[in-house]
Amino acid sequence: MTSTTAGTTTTLTLVSATHRTVPLELRERLAFSAEQAATALAAFRERFPGREAVLLSTCNRVEFYVAGENDVPAPPAGDLVAFLAECRELNAALLDGVVSRQADEAVVRHLFSVAAGLESMVLGEPQILGQVKGAWLLARDSGTSGPLTGGMFQAALRTAKRVASETSLGRERTSIPSVAVADFAAGVFERFDDKRILLVGAGKMAAETLRYLREAGARDVTVVNRTASRAVELAARLGARPGSFAELAAELAAADLVVSTTGASEPIVSLVLYERVERERQGRPLVVLDLAVPRDFDSRIGERPGVWLYSVDDLAAACDANRQSRTREMPAALAIVEEETLRFMTDMHHRTTAPVIEQLKAGWSETGEAELERLFRRLPDLGDAERAEIRQAFDRYAAKLLHPPLVSLRSESQSGPPHGLLDALKRLFQLGE
Amino acid sequence: MTEFVSGISIVCFAASYAVALGCEASRLVFRSGVRGIVMVGFAAAGLFAHTLFLGWRAVSESGVPLSSPFDWYLLAAWLLAAGYLWLALANPRTPVGLFLLPVVLALVGAAAVASREPFLQSPAALVWARIHGSFNLAFSVSVALGAVAGMMWLIQAGRLARKQPPLAGFRMPSLERLTAITHRALGIAAWTAVAGFVSGVVLNAVKLPESVPWTDPVVLRMGLVVVWLVVADGVALAMRRRPAGDRLAAWLSVVSLVVLAGSLAWGLLGVSQHGIPSATNKPPAAEAFR
Repeated sequence: MTSTTAGTTTTLTLVSATHRTVPLELRERLAFSAEQAATALAAFRERFPGREAVLLSTCNRVEFYVAGENDVPAPPAGDLVAFLAECRELNAALLDGVVSRQADEAVVRHLFSVAAGLESMVLGEPQILGQVKGAWLLARDSGTSGPLTGGMFQAALRTAKRVASETSLGRERTSIPSVAVADFAAGVFERFDDKRILLVGAGKMAAETLRYLREAGARDVTVVNRTASRAVELAARLGARPGSFAELAAELAAADLVVSTTGASEPIVSLVLYERVERERQGRPLVVLDLAVPRDFDSRIGERPGVWLYSVDDLAAACDANRQSRTREMPAALAIVEEETLRFMTDMHHRTTAPVIEQLKAGWSETGEAELERLFRRLPDLGDAERAEIRQAFDRYAAKLLHPPLVSLRSESQSGPPHGLLDALKRLFQLGE
Repeated sequence: MTEFVSGISIVCFAASYAVALGCEASRLVFRSGVRGIVMVGFAAAGLFAHTLFLGWRAVSESGVPLSSPFDWYLLAAWLLAAGYLWLALANPRTPVGLFLLPVVLALVGAAAVASREPFLQSPAALVWARIHGSFNLAFSVSVALGAVAGMMWLIQAGRLARKQPPLAGFRMPSLERLTAITHRALGIAAWTAVAGFVSGVVLNAVKLPESVPWTDPVVLRMGLVVVWLVVADGVALAMRRRPAGDRLAAWLSVVSLVVLAGSLAWGLLGVSQHGIPSATNKPPAAEAFR
């Protein structure tokens, strides 16, 4: 739990309430807005001076990262749970059984996994990275993040970027509207700003699909509905043009992409209707995203040349394939997290050796200076150039002598704080506490 | 410097293109952060060596520069390799090299067994010979680009019809874009092929009395290719506003490359009075890859 050397102690503590262990009702009560988080961090600074803290609060997790050093170690996890409960005016007993507690290396590994989206409800989702960065910046502005948490969060951002660039974890889409637009419609059309989009019906997924189409550049959107007033209302809400359901055939003939989400119990576009429309389309491809259940388009229309028809089941299967693809990337992502954790912990352990190294360098430098003074007194005829040359030779000699122990300390830091080596150095070179 | 440039062989740049092709193929197996740099690096190195090689040939060989069948194949390969490099830089996630680099390597391979003797032209025929060669080069490159776009269209359409999401790191251009490239390439190929054939007829008239007979195998096979391309372009245009028109254009582009490749293979094997008799000027085996 503690990274200790003869002269330095570093502690990292995490208490976290996530979607894995804490029910939504309790997470809602525990969640912090940005203002509430800033207030809590200010209170932490007063209550636990000298410690560092970062509070990450999203809809799926509330996590409190705390670091301490030397004689101001991180407070015990129980105190931190009580502090969080107090900030949100909750009974701490409510959190006791559900909040998880971690320390040191496990804290680092957890943060890196969170930043990379490996702990998210939707594996690999990228929004968490911005939330992690936001939490760290808020802590920095509140004066509760220093070199320990700063270094840890910067390393977390680097880890997340590596996972994003070296694996395809976050690349495949996993929602039906995003898959429909990015993986299928964009496979047919190069651009959407010159395409005519037709929304049929007012199902839940229509607006979400249209949002993705708008992001892809779609401008010309027509909405038709069995109830004309509903079409007008929906068109106004979505910034589209209302059309007439009675002229569905004409709208189909003019459309390039159809998103259909009616609640009709029978297909509203039969094969016969489409074959009549097909002649008027003059060979232009048609993408149909039939998101209705039961389906709005006769499935045989998908066999017509130039028609790319996708039902909810087709898109759901593609989403599943993408999810499986993300899962297959997990080992590679975890390997990156592990590598970065080892790197960070090595740096942290190595950092704890700094006071001893400084003492060692200072001691050698002092001895060297004394010897140089003695030498220069014996050789008074030496010019400035010769003196500088001799001084440089002494410095190089000292640096070369120091190099092997420094390398050994660095190497030993990979498996934990190098207590043994540090103690040996202190005894061998009679360094003070 | 001269020693360095003269030491470049076709194996140098063929190997570079082969490594770039291997990198493209590895997209199907694993992801890598440095693959793009390695791929473009090898393709650029190959193109650089290829350019130096052609430049050295242009200044060091006797006769009309870059006029032998060997040079013609290497020029076509150079144009396609340059096109690949540009596309790889502009669209790093599109595996265009997987389709284009095999054509480049096939052209380099064909060059290795083609005649290196420059066509002997009288000064009067030289201009027409250059026009004829340039149009033939242009239509061949257009056919290759159109076929690559056609193959990609068919693969992309197959993926969309099977309702499969795209593979990571293997994202094809949209059907709309591929259709546009296919139609344009077919059109350019047809018209430059006609222009190449007509300029060949003029060249033949200028060269009289040592002109190539109309029954010469090269004239016949190129005539067939020209007829095929004009018909293919006409059919593609006529069917463009039909539901299956885009698919047909993709197939026509792919078949056009097969027709052209068959014609060129026939030329490598046969004897002709077009230019220099190829059978008598094939390089010795040891020289083929120099």
